[in-house]
Parts: sequence; C-alpha cells; structure tokens
Amino acid sequence: MKWVRRAWRDMDKWLLAGSTVLVVLGGGLGLLALQRRQRSVWTLVSMLGAFVLQLAFLGVRGEARGACPLGDYGEILAFLAWSLVLFYLLVGPAYRLSLLGLFTAPVVVVFQLVALVPGMMMENPERVAEVNAWGEAHSAFSVLSYGAFALAAVAGLMFLVLNHQLKEHHLNTGLFAVLPPVRALSVSVVRLTILGVVILTVGMVSGFLMKREGGEAHLSAAIMIWASYLALLGVHFWRGLTPLRMSLGVISLFVLSLIVFALV
Amino acid sequence: MELVCLGLNHHTAPVEVRERFAVSEAKLGEAAGELKGIAGLQAGVVLSTCNRTEYYALAESVAEGRGLLREYMNAHAGEDIGDEYIYAAEGGEVARHLCRVVSGLDSMVLGETEVFGQAKRAYQAALEAGHTSGELNRLFQKAFGVGKRVRTATGIQEGQTSVGSVAVDLAEKIFGHLKKSRVVVVGAGEQSRVTAQALRSRGAESIIVTNRSPERAEELAVEMGGRAVSFDQWNTVLAGVDVVISSTSAPHYVVKPWQIEAVRRVRKFRPLFLIDLAVPRDIDPEVGEIEEVYLYDIDTIEQIAGEGRERRTAQIAVCEKIIEEELVKSGLLP
Repeated sequence: MKWVRRAWRDMDKWLLAGSTVLVVLGGGLGLLALQRRQRSVWTLVSMLGAFVLQLAFLGVRGEARGACPLGDYGEILAFLAWSLVLFYLLVGPAYRLSLLGLFTAPVVVVFQLVALVPGMMMENPERVAEVNAWGEAHSAFSVLSYGAFALAAVAGLMFLVLNHQLKEHHLNTGLFAVLPPVRALSVSVVRLTILGVVILTVGMVSGFLMKREGGEAHLSAAIMIWASYLALLGVHFWRGLTPLRMSLGVISLFVLSLIVFALV
Repeated sequence: MELVCLGLNHHTAPVEVRERFAVSEAKLGEAAGELKGIAGLQAGVVLSTCNRTEYYALAESVAEGRGLLREYMNAHAGEDIGDEYIYAAEGGEVARHLCRVVSGLDSMVLGETEVFGQAKRAYQAALEAGHTSGELNRLFQKAFGVGKRVRTATGIQEGQTSVGSVAVDLAEKIFGHLKKSRVVVVGAGEQSRVTAQALRSRGAESIIVTNRSPERAEELAVEMGGRAVSFDQWNTVLAGVDVVISSTSAPHYVVKPWQIEAVRRVRKFRPLFLIDLAVPRDIDPEVGEIEEVYLYDIDTIEQIAGEGRERRTAQIAVCEKIIEEELVKSGLLP
C-alpha cells in the first residue's frame, strides 16, 4: 500500500496533471472542430472539468499551507492558469468567443507543465505561522488580475490572426470561418484589460496595506506594470487606439510583466 | 397510387412564363385543394418560389396523373403552354427531385437555404388544408429529413456565392451583427444597390446615398429607407459610417487616403469596411494600408464568390450520394 500512500501524498500534482490533460483534450477537440469549420462545445466542457481539478489542486495546496497557495513558482503558475481558465469560462461563452478556449489552452498547458517540473513546487509546503490578510489579498488579487491580462493577450492574439487574414484576403481557412468578429475581439480585449486593472488595483492597495519586509524591486515592478496598463487604457479612451495597437499593447505588456516578475 | 410531379423552373422557363404560374404563400393551401379536387388525383402540394412552381400529386396511374396536371397547368395559364418549359418526374424520381430541391441543388444559387423553408410552408399549407395523404406526407417528411442531413453533413451551404452575400459575410466578420452599422453608398449603380440592400436586409441601421446625379441618389435613398447627401459633401458623413460601398463611373480615385486619415481620430480608430465595386477602381489601394481599414475591390469579392461557387459545386456529388442512400434506405427508391 506504499504506492497508495505515495499517490495520496502527491495528490496535488495528480490533480494538476489531470487538469492539464483535460485542457489538452479541450484544445484538441477545439482543433478537430476547427478542421470541420465548426465550434466545439466540448472544449468548454473540458475546460470546465479542468477548472474543477485546478480548484481541487489549489484547495489541497491551500490546506497544506494554511494560506493562499502562492508560496512558490509552481503554485503561482497554477494559480495564474486557474485564473486564466476562470476568466475564459466567464468571458468566452458570454461574448460567444468559444474559440477563445482553443487559444487559451496552450497558454494554460505551458503554465501547468512548467508548474509540474520537479523543483517548481515544494514537496511538503510549510504551514504558515501567521496569516496576514492584506498579504493574502495582495497575492491573490494580483495573480487573479494576471489571469484577466493573460486572457486579454489571448483575445489580442486572436485579433491579430483575424486582422491579418482580413487584410491579406486569406479567407479560406477553417480558423477564419470560426474566429469571432473583429468588433467582438477588440471589445473583449478592452474589457478584460479594464477588469485586470481593477483587480490589480485592489491587489496593489492590499500590498500597500500589508506589512512589508523589503521587496522594493517587486513593488516598483508592480507599480510600473499597473501604470503601463492604465496608460494603455487612458490612450485608448482619450485619443483612441486602433484595435491592432491595442492588441499589440496588451500582448507586449503581458509578456513584459511575466519577464519582469520572473526576474524580481 | 403513383407519385407524379410536374413543374417549371429557371432552367426550363423564362420569367415571363414562370410568373404566370406563381402562387402567393397565402394561396398555397387553396392551390393544393384545386389539385385534389381534380377527378383522378387524390392529393396535392403546390410549391411556388420566385424560381419555380411545382405540382406534386397522387394519381391512379402515372400517365393519367401527368395528363391531368398538364391540363391543370394549361387551364391555369389560359392557353396551351409549350412542353419545352415543363419537366416531369414520377415514382421514385419525384422523391429524388424533391430531395434535390429542398437541399438547394436545383436552385439558381446552389445550396441556398430559402427553398427549404418555402417547401416546408408549401407542404404545411396543403397538410393543414387537408389535401395531402399518407404517401405524399411520407415523401415530404423524408425529403425534409434528407435536406437537413445534406445541409449539415456536407459543405453545400458553405461560403458565399454572390457579391452581395460576400459583402454581408465580410461585414459580419468585422462588425458582428449589423444592427448598429451605418452604410454609405457612393454612386447609385445596380451593383451597389444590390450590395447595400443585402446589408440592409441583415439589419444595417442606416443607408446614406450619394451620387453625381442627386435625383438618382434620392431615388435610391428612398428605396433603401435611407437619406441622400450631395456628392461634394459625402466625405462629411465618413466619420459616422462603418461601411463604404463605392461604384461610381469616375475615371479617377474617389476615395483617397487623406480623406480617411482626416476622420480617423474622430472615428476613434473604429474599423472601416470599404467595398470598391467600380472599374476603374474608386478607392485608392493605399487606403487599404491604413490599420483599421479593410478594403475589398470587385476582383477580390468576385474571386471569393467564385471560390464559394466552386466549393459548393464540388459538394454536389456528395449530396447526391446522401440522397440516394437515404431514399434507398427508406424504400422510396428501389
């Protein structure tokens, strides 16, 4: 029964691996549907299943830590993947952006596979001695906001693909047939960015209220990213921004923020 | 009892002949009753669209049924119309023909969907008036089932096949639904009228027409339920529109990059769909370089429509195979 005890001990990783398999399945089904120039409802169902397993994973890790599971890179990436799927489930069907699942799946898979790499997650996470509510809120809201920013980047990428096809008159692909309209994508990019900025603002305010020991570089990076997104939205609403530039903006800022936070 | 069908369509008869047999939707049940009322015929359905009128009936024998339907058609036209305008089918051929009709394989625009609904309404009118019978019911219900399968299992309705439908498809790919979209028509030619009408039928909010001849612009604007603007002021409306359809006979460019550049900020860089249907072209190709502008000229649109037609034509054999399979399975074909 050693293997049962071992499997139980590694339950968190199995849950994350299971959700990764479901996301791969959802993406694969979406791809097959794409070849038939159709949309796949099974992508949504698979993503829903993945979301449940991600929640279970976060629950297990959170229980072990006695706090929000954002204590190592693996947990942060898994939390980010979870928030990405959460926003996809909230935004995708509502805006008829079913294809968003197909584009979201690879990002989620990469995040979760990296999280599963040995060493990315602590084997036995230590239980925290004291829970700092502001600190917890800061971490959770900040990572959650990146889910919205990630999805905005995914919608931006979809816009770039569609824009290229429309501009170059390449209209015979299965992808073109099932991509949502330009207006729906550009509206989603803006709304997701607004949502991300609002959530990140809550995260930032919580960060200012929490007890800090150093970490000035992290704070500066966070302010810089927040201000950049805010400036992008400001330009969009004040003088207007072409959907192409808005999309390029959200993609660049998301990639930049990932790089910055990996370094600081 | 034998199934018989007689009819005439756009392949066999010109419009001046077809129009004499047209039956309005409200009178389809009545027309089916006239067929059933003919001694020797037991049931009837009349299908009438802008491209065809067909009479389906059950008769004691094929020869008798054909003769009676032919007499009915002559009586309807008020004279003996030529055989060259009429086609006939009997027995299993009727089922094959009806399946082809409801699948859009016999339509002027291959794969069009409207005929399916029209056939359904024709059958429903006859059924509700009590002029159908077991065999005719089975025929129509099977044909609707086959028509559905053909449309879902093949690519017969994929892509667009006309300039108007390609324009609508592209506009929907850019703007989603067209309910809040505003269109300006530059030059009141036939092609732009058809294209604007296609956009209007899909919900375009308003149509603005401009033309060198203000009378023609006013006429088209009234027809479209829109408004006309003077030709030298048309670019003042550019800031508020989403689609520009241009088809003037001007020998030079009518829409130039500076005109679009001038309104970009006021438009808040919203997408702009430009359709150039003129030869020589009305819109400077450099306009297409502007980020939020999607420019399509007549050649590109015709090419897309041609590809759509080719794709649909390639599907005919697949559709016919399904029809044969289904009819053999149901016993309507030996």
